[in-house]
Amino acid sequence: MRRSDLGEFEELVLLTIATQFPDAYSVAIAEALEKDLKRTITTGATHAAMQRLEKKGYLTSRMGESTAERGGRRKRLYAVTVAGGKILEEVRQIRETLWSRIAPGAIPEIQSLQK
Amino acid sequence: MSKSNKPYLPPRWLDQILKVCCDPDQLEEIMGNLHERYQLRKVRSSNKVMLFWFYFREVLAYLRPQFSRRIRIDNPNHLTMIERHLKTSTRSILRNKTLSLINIGGLALGITCFLCLYLWIDAETSVNKFHKHAEELYTVYFTETTPQGKYGNYEIPFNYVDTNMDGSKILANELKAQFPEIREATTYATSYELPWGHACTFRLKDKRQKFEGSVAGPGFFRLFSFPLLAGDPETALSTRSGIAISRSMAESFFDSHSDAMGQTLRYENVRDFVITAVFEDVKDNSSLQFDYLINWDLTHNDNILLSSSGINTFLLLEKSASPEALQAKLQDFLQDRLNSWEMDVTLGIQPFKDQYLISNFVEGKPLNGRIEYIRIFSVVAFFILLVACINFMNLVTAQSIKKAKEMSIRKVIGSSRYSLIMQSLTESILMTVIAMILALMLTWNFQPIISEITGKHLIMPLHLASFWTLILMLVVSIGCVSGFYPALFLSSVKPNLVLQRNSKPKGKSAWLQKGLVILQFSISMLLMVATIVVSRQTHFIQNTHLGYDKENLIAVRIEGKLTERQQYLLLKQELQQMPGIQLVDRSSEAPHNMGFEMMPPFEWQGQAKGEGVSFLPTSVGYDFVEIMNLQIKEGRNFDRRIASDSTAFMVNEIALKQMNMTDPIGKWISAWDKRGPIIGILKDYHASSLHDPIKPLIVDVKEDLDFGLILVKTQPGATIEALSSMEKAFQEFNPNFPLAYSFVDDEYSALYNSEMIINKLSNAFASLAMVISCLGLLGLAISAAASRIKEMGIRKVLGASVSNILTLFSSGFLRLIATAFLIATPVSWWLLNTWLDGFAYRVHLSWWIFIVTGLITLVLALLTIGIQAMKTAASNPVTALRSE
Repeated sequence: MRRSDLGEFEELVLLTIATQFPDAYSVAIAEALEKDLKRTITTGATHAAMQRLEKKGYLTSRMGESTAERGGRRKRLYAVTVAGGKILEEVRQIRETLWSRIAPGAIPEIQSLQK
Repeated sequence: MSKSNKPYLPPRWLDQILKVCCDPDQLEEIMGNLHERYQLRKVRSSNKVMLFWFYFREVLAYLRPQFSRRIRIDNPNHLTMIERHLKTSTRSILRNKTLSLINIGGLALGITCFLCLYLWIDAETSVNKFHKHAEELYTVYFTETTPQGKYGNYEIPFNYVDTNMDGSKILANELKAQFPEIREATTYATSYELPWGHACTFRLKDKRQKFEGSVAGPGFFRLFSFPLLAGDPETALSTRSGIAISRSMAESFFDSHSDAMGQTLRYENVRDFVITAVFEDVKDNSSLQFDYLINWDLTHNDNILLSSSGINTFLLLEKSASPEALQAKLQDFLQDRLNSWEMDVTLGIQPFKDQYLISNFVEGKPLNGRIEYIRIFSVVAFFILLVACINFMNLVTAQSIKKAKEMSIRKVIGSSRYSLIMQSLTESILMTVIAMILALMLTWNFQPIISEITGKHLIMPLHLASFWTLILMLVVSIGCVSGFYPALFLSSVKPNLVLQRNSKPKGKSAWLQKGLVILQFSISMLLMVATIVVSRQTHFIQNTHLGYDKENLIAVRIEGKLTERQQYLLLKQELQQMPGIQLVDRSSEAPHNMGFEMMPPFEWQGQAKGEGVSFLPTSVGYDFVEIMNLQIKEGRNFDRRIASDSTAFMVNEIALKQMNMTDPIGKWISAWDKRGPIIGILKDYHASSLHDPIKPLIVDVKEDLDFGLILVKTQPGATIEALSSMEKAFQEFNPNFPLAYSFVDDEYSALYNSEMIINKLSNAFASLAMVISCLGLLGLAISAAASRIKEMGIRKVLGASVSNILTLFSSGFLRLIATAFLIATPVSWWLLNTWLDGFAYRVHLSWWIFIVTGLITLVLALLTIGIQAMKTAASNPVTALRSE
């Protein structure tokens, strides 16, 4: 796996898009991330990440209907592609393998949590 | 969500920024996102400031290359576009060879002027900034308040009588002991007793040479960062017999500077010094200049070099110290100790790095100085650049007829306005780059000339990144400023109008063009008037009859054996019989700069109580009046046959007036330890620079004068003979000292160094500004001729004479120049009057200067336009009209 293909923020965005399907679009993703990460996330940053992901082939998009709250402007709806799903799965596996290899006591808090 | 159909709207100007910057294809989505997010936030929070702040961040987040309109590096079209623009620009530059040449040439000249001035200004402003502690170095100055007003000076009285204790104290040591925020303090003095620094003689075996040096406190090298080649900065000046010398001084006595350490040099034939340090030669960028340094304590205690003036005190403050607080404490420092001083004296500190530029005192505080000239020439540099840019703009706009057609066709074919603007800008930036290359080459060649004019060693700092940044910034800003307006103007032309041949620049652009020509010529005329006035003033300074004869007068310092009266008299006798020499005498002061004004104790017969006059005192020999060719208004000259004349005085007319003395001859004056009659009144003469008014003068005869100058009057035209005579005589009577002489008229000129520099600089730059302006006019005339050739053709066919056409063609331009004249005259009158006010004796601004300036400009302009006008008028109308 070319890990450099998926930044940490990109990974979060990609996952959030998956959770919001089929109504995933920039503003909603930014809002959700803001709630999860507990820090201000601008639409611009999210949007930029989504564009990058689309270019890499992990996302597809299409234009949605126009809505009143956007001043009559249409929104772009995103969906995770097969490649996107694959890379998410890879990342997840790597993480889980790593977690499983951690010996008890290697990370102090974890032990105390387990107790 | 808001129920109303009209949702809350975020600040519109932020949206506007996005609309300008963002890719139009993505704009809908971006704006949608932003506005929706804004609504969401609005529902949650009503804090307007926070809302704005969030929105601002949102907008900022969209200002990234990914969403931006233009910069898309991955789009290969842009590269080819730039390539295409460059190609088209080159073609268009080559097509209009004359105009391009005028354009680039004018711009190159302008930039050259700018760069030359920049070099000078940069050199001036960087003086003294090379010291490691430059930011924490301060100079002490003092202000004295007398009934006449406040005076300030850097020259500190180095000791003062402490009323509570015996003996004298050195200010630097006292201050350092008193105030903990002072890390180091040192005294520094140029070792002179004459108004110009004099060189002292050093000897090693048979080698004798003169060097100019200074005395400094032991901490000197801890304050100032003069690099040492040998020796330790801590101990370099800590011994009384130690001397620190420069690399070139070391090399003139020894094979290399490392051989010099520990060697002994004989000083003025009276004393030996051991070399304790060798420092790198002091460069131009230091205001402290010296070949050697000796210990201050030595000179102070042993009285071998008793200076009464020219002593500076420098402080190095702790980084954390507040100079303002120290300043406030210093105000009172002297007051507690100086009960005996009659004058009210306070101390102040000024950053050392400013001392070079700001050294004139106004109301007792340092306020201006050289910085004035720097400011003036910064403005001049900017103006010249402006004139060059205006040319550029005007010429490009003037070509708009031709260009407008080209642009229209491009537009019709389908070019976007953006691409047209880029095309124009590329062209102007390309031209600027060519001009810049030319200018750099020209400046490179002008370096020696500019160095000579300014008396500084100026080199283009090609190795500095900051210099190249400046060059780059100049290219971009000149290119954009001068190309932008024409670009916008041309790209906005409506193709249908142009293609229907309705193609003259109209309305706004025509006015702008006219305005710019007026501005350009106003600046040129202003510079020209300034040149005339400055050179008249310098000429006036050089040629005013000073009241004494400074020609053929050579000055030599009294030193060595010549301080003995008998030896001097023998030398004088010998010299006066030698070829080329008319007369020899002594004076305690230099004729062109009778430096030190002294306050009482001077008393005179009939003096009212409390009345005091500050005199310029001079002690001379019996032949002084004759050698200087002074006029005696009343009474008689000193006479060596009258014994009582050794206590007699002469004063000048101003002194008489200030002493309120009538019928002065025979009345007594008391000065120093003498009391004697006034025997003669000297006609007023300029005993110092023309910046100052004539001051009261008191002259007495001192037969055992052991300091000051020997004045030698040579026979006109026999200078070389006289000098070889002097060489011989001095070798015989003062063998231990090499002869060092100076010409009084040279020394007089040196008083006006800054004025001379200004004169030369303004001469050069005013003429260049005029040339640039005329180049611009020529360009305008050429394009005007091109655009009106058909009109002229028709007029000719209908019977207009050549002179008719000439008048018609030129009158428009001449009107502009007349307007420029009307603007330039009052402005330059005011500016130059202000400058001239700095002189006590000055020329007056006569009306003819302005008329002459106007006429010169007119003639130049007529010549420039005339050639084009003649061409137009003489051309065959058939050629012009054939295509119709």
